[in-house]
Amino acid sequence: MRSIGLKIVRLALILSVGLFTLTNTLRAAEPFVAGYDRFAASKEISSVTAGRLLLTELSCTACHQTDAPTLTPKGGPDLSAVGSRVHSEWLQDFLMAPHQMKQGITMPDVLAELPYQQKEQVVAALTAFLMSNTQPYPEIKAGGASPVPFEFWLKGNIEQGRELYHKRGCVACHEPDAEYETVERKPTPLDQIIEQLDADELKELGLSQLIRPVNSVPHGRLSEKYNSRSLTFFLLNPEKARPAGRMPNFQFEPMDASHIAAYLLSGKTPEPKPTEVEASLVEKGKAFFVDLGCVNCHSIKGLKPAGQVKPLSELDASAERSCLKGSDSLPHYSLSTRQIKSLTEVLAGRQYIRNEGPDAQLEFRLLQRNCYGCHERDQKGGVGRNRKAYFETVRHIDLGDEGRIPPPLTGVGEKLTQSWMKKVLEGKEKVRPHLTARMPVFSGEEIQSLPAQFATADGFQQQTDREVFGQFQGLESAGRSLMGTGCVQCHPIQGEALPGVVGVDLADVTDRIHPAWFKKFLFNPGEVKPRTRMPTFFPKGKSSNQQILDGDVDRQIAALWAYLKDSANQKLPEKILEVRSRNYELIPDKRPLVLRTFMEEAGTHAIAVGFPQKLHFAYDAEQIRLAEVWQGRFLDARGTWFERFTPPAVPLGTKRMNFPKGATLRLSDSKSTAAFRGYRLDKQGHPMFLLRLSPWDVEEQIDAENSDTIVRTWTFNASRPTDKPREVQLRLLAGDGVHHEGKTALVHPSGLKLTLKSAGNTEPTKTGWRVAVPALQPMETFSIEVTYQW
Amino acid sequence: MVSISRSLILLGYCCGMMLGRSIDAAEENDFYKLISVVTSQAQTESRSKNWKPAPDGLALEVSGIAVLEDGKIAVTIRKGEIWILDGVYDDPPRNVTYHRFATALHEPLGLLKIGDAYYTAQRSELTRIRDTDGDNVADEYLTVAKGWGVTGHYHEYAYGPELDGEGNLWITLNTGLGLKGDQFDRTITEPTLKVRQGRWRGWGLKITPDGELLPVCAGMRSPSGLGANAEGDMFYTDQQGNWVGTNTLHHMREGAFFHHPDALASMNEPGSTIHGITEIPNGLPFPEALKKLKVLRPPAVWLPYKKVGQSATDIMLDESEGRFGPFAGQFFLGEFTQAGINRVFLEKVNGEYQGACFPFRSGMASAVLRLAQGTDGSVFAGLTNRGWSSLGTASYGLQRLVWTGKTPFEIREMRAQSDGFTLEFTRPVDPQTAGDPRSYEMTSYTYRYHSTYGSDEILKQSPKIVAAEVSDDGLTVSLTIEGLRELFVHELWCRGVRDRDGEPLLHPDAYYTLNRLP
Repeated sequence: MRSIGLKIVRLALILSVGLFTLTNTLRAAEPFVAGYDRFAASKEISSVTAGRLLLTELSCTACHQTDAPTLTPKGGPDLSAVGSRVHSEWLQDFLMAPHQMKQGITMPDVLAELPYQQKEQVVAALTAFLMSNTQPYPEIKAGGASPVPFEFWLKGNIEQGRELYHKRGCVACHEPDAEYETVERKPTPLDQIIEQLDADELKELGLSQLIRPVNSVPHGRLSEKYNSRSLTFFLLNPEKARPAGRMPNFQFEPMDASHIAAYLLSGKTPEPKPTEVEASLVEKGKAFFVDLGCVNCHSIKGLKPAGQVKPLSELDASAERSCLKGSDSLPHYSLSTRQIKSLTEVLAGRQYIRNEGPDAQLEFRLLQRNCYGCHERDQKGGVGRNRKAYFETVRHIDLGDEGRIPPPLTGVGEKLTQSWMKKVLEGKEKVRPHLTARMPVFSGEEIQSLPAQFATADGFQQQTDREVFGQFQGLESAGRSLMGTGCVQCHPIQGEALPGVVGVDLADVTDRIHPAWFKKFLFNPGEVKPRTRMPTFFPKGKSSNQQILDGDVDRQIAALWAYLKDSANQKLPEKILEVRSRNYELIPDKRPLVLRTFMEEAGTHAIAVGFPQKLHFAYDAEQIRLAEVWQGRFLDARGTWFERFTPPAVPLGTKRMNFPKGATLRLSDSKSTAAFRGYRLDKQGHPMFLLRLSPWDVEEQIDAENSDTIVRTWTFNASRPTDKPREVQLRLLAGDGVHHEGKTALVHPSGLKLTLKSAGNTEPTKTGWRVAVPALQPMETFSIEVTYQW
Repeated sequence: MVSISRSLILLGYCCGMMLGRSIDAAEENDFYKLISVVTSQAQTESRSKNWKPAPDGLALEVSGIAVLEDGKIAVTIRKGEIWILDGVYDDPPRNVTYHRFATALHEPLGLLKIGDAYYTAQRSELTRIRDTDGDNVADEYLTVAKGWGVTGHYHEYAYGPELDGEGNLWITLNTGLGLKGDQFDRTITEPTLKVRQGRWRGWGLKITPDGELLPVCAGMRSPSGLGANAEGDMFYTDQQGNWVGTNTLHHMREGAFFHHPDALASMNEPGSTIHGITEIPNGLPFPEALKKLKVLRPPAVWLPYKKVGQSATDIMLDESEGRFGPFAGQFFLGEFTQAGINRVFLEKVNGEYQGACFPFRSGMASAVLRLAQGTDGSVFAGLTNRGWSSLGTASYGLQRLVWTGKTPFEIREMRAQSDGFTLEFTRPVDPQTAGDPRSYEMTSYTYRYHSTYGSDEILKQSPKIVAAEVSDDGLTVSLTIEGLRELFVHELWCRGVRDRDGEPLLHPDAYYTLNRLP
């Protein structure tokens, strides 16, 4: 069944490709080079740049060598594993008619003028050779942090893939699905202006580039080319197959890559069974691969280019016979008239070696990698207007374009430190988690020099924070107050934020941003970054807060820097602390509150109890003792509730008092101490701890009497009658200066005073008292009470 | 001309679409439908230091589920509370109500209701919780058992309890991994093996009906799931890591040592059931390690990594007698990282449990930590991925898996024979394909027992399927196989098998742990 179907497919393809080649050579689209396509016609880039861009992106310089720096050819995919990656049927059809199989392809057709029969033979040999180049797939490491289902590439979900494709940023370059629905968003003021203007007006205002649709980097016929596994693995590591790095690495999770592959392939395609090919055909193909110059662009291990063609410097664009014209045996590029013109111009008089300034050099890099697809720089590029809707803010929080569109790169060399830019380019840091799109990782040597290029192009001058702000240390607390007046409304700090606030976290801002830029931006954000939502806190150069640092603008900005630079050691801004407390602070305002947790003093069996009297204690249910008391605020529960590494809960209040280690209650004549049996809560929520100290059951109640007094009571009862009195020891206070005052008071030098009330015989000890518990009948009880006052 | 060629291409393209793909005729969802009772997305990533729940609603990180009789369920949440949920069986569940029953629990990781009392394991104790005054809010938190080491290390989870056939409550205790600082003050050390852990860490313990806490078996790494089978025997799952080649399912019984040596820090404690281990072989294939270390017991089932999950959690016995589909009496295992559920068939061979595992359901909204069968046979899954990572669109919540009434074409049982395996299917097979040995493929392998994290599948072989005999009713196939090896995992792929309608198996793979040949 399947083989017949396949034969039909093959037949149809061969026929159609044949027909296409006969009738349709001119219908093929021109090679698509994103930067050229977008900026050359409108002359937003110089004609030299446009020509140079074609020289590298069409890989002219792969064959026509040149010493001109920065004209490294893009080159084609690495074909060392092409046999594992593509279907052989596709490869054959592709080689027969590359321009039809992938509209806009930058690879030239080197077989265009061969007679059909001969061409078929060459293609068969090339296909055989290429398909013999296979490599095993790498193992994707799985672990607790990385889900990797078995054969995950067959488990992708089309719908999820569709969403990822449209949200992560693929559509910055590639074609979105017109049916895909984005969340409706209000037109920006700029959009509204644009809507009201006609083309001429727009041109006059220099806004033409904003409304021009941005064309898509073509995909080709993915579902004929790839199987699920090969496309998934391509997406996980595109640089491996395409070392030129024009397709960046989005650092997808394995399943996400699988979803996107499923979407792009409209389903799942199994890996084809390897087919046997004649060794002689493979050898023939290998020879063609070298002779036809394929190897000049496509690396395959062990193969080197053969022979030389004219170096770039000797090319004559006006010659009768040239690649530009697609003459006979030369490569056919299907160039457009404009492209031919651009190339002709740049070749004439060897314009391409013209020495260009840092701006132009940088621009050239950004064009090659299509950084302009996402980022605007100096009014050029940025997410195309027809694509903007796909860029969203997480949870659709309204942050304006800054919260959904990748940031502009205008002046970025002045703004960002080079070390930070490097981290961003390497995909190690992200400060915009609120964008659904992701900054992918670009690889290659040219990328490593980008941070320095930005700095040079933007005329960055190194200035230390000391030079910019003067003496700023010591201003941290003023900075903290200033943070509260505005910054926290839109920015999280150390992952903490006001409700609903998402944005760039300011905790590491001083590692990212140069001090001079920080100062300039804060002083008047709108001047540095047009249309920013960041308001100025210094309207007309005056601080809107005259209370802090006498309203001195420079000092205030310095204070913000000082605080942020030391933010790891500083308290969070008050407003954020208030929110944290609202969410996580336990406030026993009506009833006592209990929290079982880990605590420094009370240990790993801690039971913290807070009272509305603003007086609290922590009980150690392991050693059976009162471990700590304090006053004021009770506890922050977040560490206990939600933090993975279970930090100890820290009392928030003051007047903390710690008590000695070891069981509070023990028998004088026995080593056994009490066992913890749990607790009961009364109607008002007061806990009563249940202890077993043979021969008694003991109930221990610790209660706040008023704002400075705790009453601690032990009630003894016996389930079986006890026949004689037994003496217990209370270990209550220890340390230097602890002393008794009279028979019933024990005093700590801090002022804490314990008072004993008991009907039985009592006697002071170093750490408390000895108390004789009388013989008890069932239902009969005996109590000891100690009050703590401090 | 052009239009002709175009339509031909289109035709070719369509054929390619139809033929070039493996068509997923049947999907898990056709047989087991997922209903999200509540799922939420945290504000931060699952491993974030500043983890924050969703901005609204209850942080329903379900860590224990007790099914109640009156259409309600009770759940523990990791934050430390018990909630009673009503309306959870509705589809769609539009009117779920929440009632907070208990608070101030320290990361409870299990929930059981016996009579009027709830039982849950907190970090430091097993607690019995009741409402004694009838206001439907707990007022009594009694300590049922405590005394195990709690150093303060986050990884020292305590799981359970579960009830066995004799009325014992069982709990398991996670090993602390990478203790530091004053955490060591709360450890004990075994001087010969030089292992150091909190007391009874890495042990399975039971609490008798008399309230006595008895250590039973040891060597656990991260035993996050417990469950009894129909006979009342108690099992636990373990998770891949140091000394644990891949996830496992073990029968807990006295004196058994499973793999992680840190548990032996408690070997000399009063009550220990394991004695006299002086050396741990490190680096041997597991079958060899068994020979060197006499107390070492192989898992009843190895769950091959990635193929049957990456982090096994809860164990649920299907007691629905068919209301949850054709797998009555089998175990279902929660799967954390891959957010799914796997299935286990067990049999006893020469007195010991062994059996096979199968993929069952993927696509849950988040990490599955707990499973519980509802009164109608459907299965509740408690979800939370905080601290690790998982597939799925949510961070925590509760989902319910309902059998649609359609029987999936699955391998229901895989039983060991002296010369092969017997497969029992849920639907009659096509005798042609199922009777053809080429419809099956088998590999066998084991794991390395070593201190390294996880293990590859090692010592691989391909046992030969020499015959496949289909029973008259088409429900059973007996495979005759050459080259079976005791103590090895036998991975079987039945890609060629079809049912009578030509449908392939929903999951064509099965993994049998052949500890003993019958």
